[in-house]
Amino acid sequence: MNLALLSHEWLVVALGLCLLVADLWTPASARRILGYVAAAGLGAILLYSLIAVRPELQPACGNMYVLDGLALFFKRFFLAAAIIVLLMSAEFFDRLQAGIGEFYALVLFALTGMLFAASANDFALLFVSLELITVTFYVLASFQRTRLNSLEAGVKYLIMGALSTSFTVFGIALVYGISRKLNFNDLAAVAPQFGGNRIFLFGLLLVLVGLGFKIAAFPFQLWAPDVYQGAPSPTTAFLAVGSKAAGFVLLLRVLFVAVPDITAQWSRLLIVISGITILYGNLCAIPQRNIKRLLGYSSIAHAGYMLLGIAASAATIANTTQNPGAGAAAVLYYLGGYLFAVLGAFTVICLALRHVENEDIPALAGLGQRSPLLATTLTLAMVSLAGIPPLAGFFGKFLLFKAALAQGPAHPAYYWLVAAAIAGVVISLWYYFGVVHAVYWSKEAANLSPISISRTMRATLYACVAGMFFIGLCPGPLLDCAAEAVKALRL
Amino acid sequence: MEEQSQLAQYLPVLMLGVLAVAFSFGMLVVSVIVGKKGKRSPIKDTAYECGMLPIGEGGGRFSVKFYLVAMLFILFDIEVVFLYPWAVVYREMLKQNGGLILGAMLSFLGILFVGYIYAVKKRAFDWKS
Repeated sequence: MNLALLSHEWLVVALGLCLLVADLWTPASARRILGYVAAAGLGAILLYSLIAVRPELQPACGNMYVLDGLALFFKRFFLAAAIIVLLMSAEFFDRLQAGIGEFYALVLFALTGMLFAASANDFALLFVSLELITVTFYVLASFQRTRLNSLEAGVKYLIMGALSTSFTVFGIALVYGISRKLNFNDLAAVAPQFGGNRIFLFGLLLVLVGLGFKIAAFPFQLWAPDVYQGAPSPTTAFLAVGSKAAGFVLLLRVLFVAVPDITAQWSRLLIVISGITILYGNLCAIPQRNIKRLLGYSSIAHAGYMLLGIAASAATIANTTQNPGAGAAAVLYYLGGYLFAVLGAFTVICLALRHVENEDIPALAGLGQRSPLLATTLTLAMVSLAGIPPLAGFFGKFLLFKAALAQGPAHPAYYWLVAAAIAGVVISLWYYFGVVHAVYWSKEAANLSPISISRTMRATLYACVAGMFFIGLCPGPLLDCAAEAVKALRL
Repeated sequence: MEEQSQLAQYLPVLMLGVLAVAFSFGMLVVSVIVGKKGKRSPIKDTAYECGMLPIGEGGGRFSVKFYLVAMLFILFDIEVVFLYPWAVVYREMLKQNGGLILGAMLSFLGILFVGYIYAVKKRAFDWKS
């Protein structure tokens, strides 16, 4: 047992517990500061992670837990996301009736689940970390108890989450029942001999269903728009970035560490799911009037783009190509760009629509005059999500499509998938620019009072813009990190 | 083949399920066919001799504090549930990795202790407030 490997998790849990206790002796007026303290604490942990932690070859907890490059990449990703979400919640706190300290603590506990998910090398840890994330999100989604929308989001997420959990756990039971293995490395050793066993394959399929719910891939995406719309904005932001990325890291581990031989047979299934998810997300986003709902559908589409990278990697297992990790590395790179674009957009929603009951797109009218900084950030976020150079989203999509096209000569289906994805990108321009249009050119502006932005929020917005530009203009460092991280997978 | 034999073990369960469904449906069908039919009236349809007249809500209302007590009970009950097997294997495990087994339980109790402080400060044990 090497418990020192779990340092990230220990530190985040300790921070969360300290916050929970500190909240009890903090007067209500000073509770906002707790959010800044939590964000600063996470900043220190991220700094420690960047300076002092290196990938370890030795696993911990009986090979349940690994701290390889992939785990570290995602741990830093989750820490960065949680810092911005905490700063956003500190800004949001006057809209929560009660339990501000608990909100911060729950964000930290959800983060702990994500950190464990990044390192899960065993179906037991996969399940526990997934549950830790989902159960905390039930509470976070329904945190605005007096708003009906928020309660509706919480109940919907609870029901759909419980359903997906039951699929996952049933799938794990079937896999264990046939193979007698829970560990991913042990499973990889025996999986080829169960390639023809239908119960085993069915079990794996059910695990994929559970993870499909987490990343909101078609046909398990129905909860996403409702929950995104109703939940408090910081929760939605964390759900869109953290929870989705946790689903992807678990998907990568299950598909490419535990059962690579079976994944190779499933490339066609992944192609179909990816293509339909992209088209569904983009087409359904067009008629949306609520910006959070629109981002919910757009997040479905982005899950589809990232599945495209996974589908491309699935084909490389069977045939040897020059750069087998390209698809998976592109997914990691894409997530990096997605983090800054989505968190930037939600920070703007949090600030600009502070006094509006529903976050409808027409309420953004006149934002260009009310606050140039918010308008610019939102525009850049939309442009990055749409995938226009030179921002992060463009290069990410380019890498994903390139990885899929490299598989085209062997499997013509990949050409069709890329064609569907390009069609999706073209459709997405329509609704992303609808938002930009409302910000700058809408004539219906009723309220033109300037919006005051606190210094920390200003810094957060600048950080998001800088992140989008940096990842787009100098892709080198992040791309190297991603390529290094996917070496942990068996591609 | 192995897959087939594993499924075959569940055949009695399937048979029992089919039998249960068939029996209950059969009883309903038989009672419709051979049962005596009389005139129905609202008074005849009320519960008499074997029940009470349905007046008011199905479930009685009781204080929300009971839910809080139930939740706290589950929380600290689980603590004891984990403590028992831990105490049973403690002496054995002490020889190999004593620090680990003590540390694991102490960190678990520590987290629960924070929960206890939280419950006390939030006045969850204060029945009258």
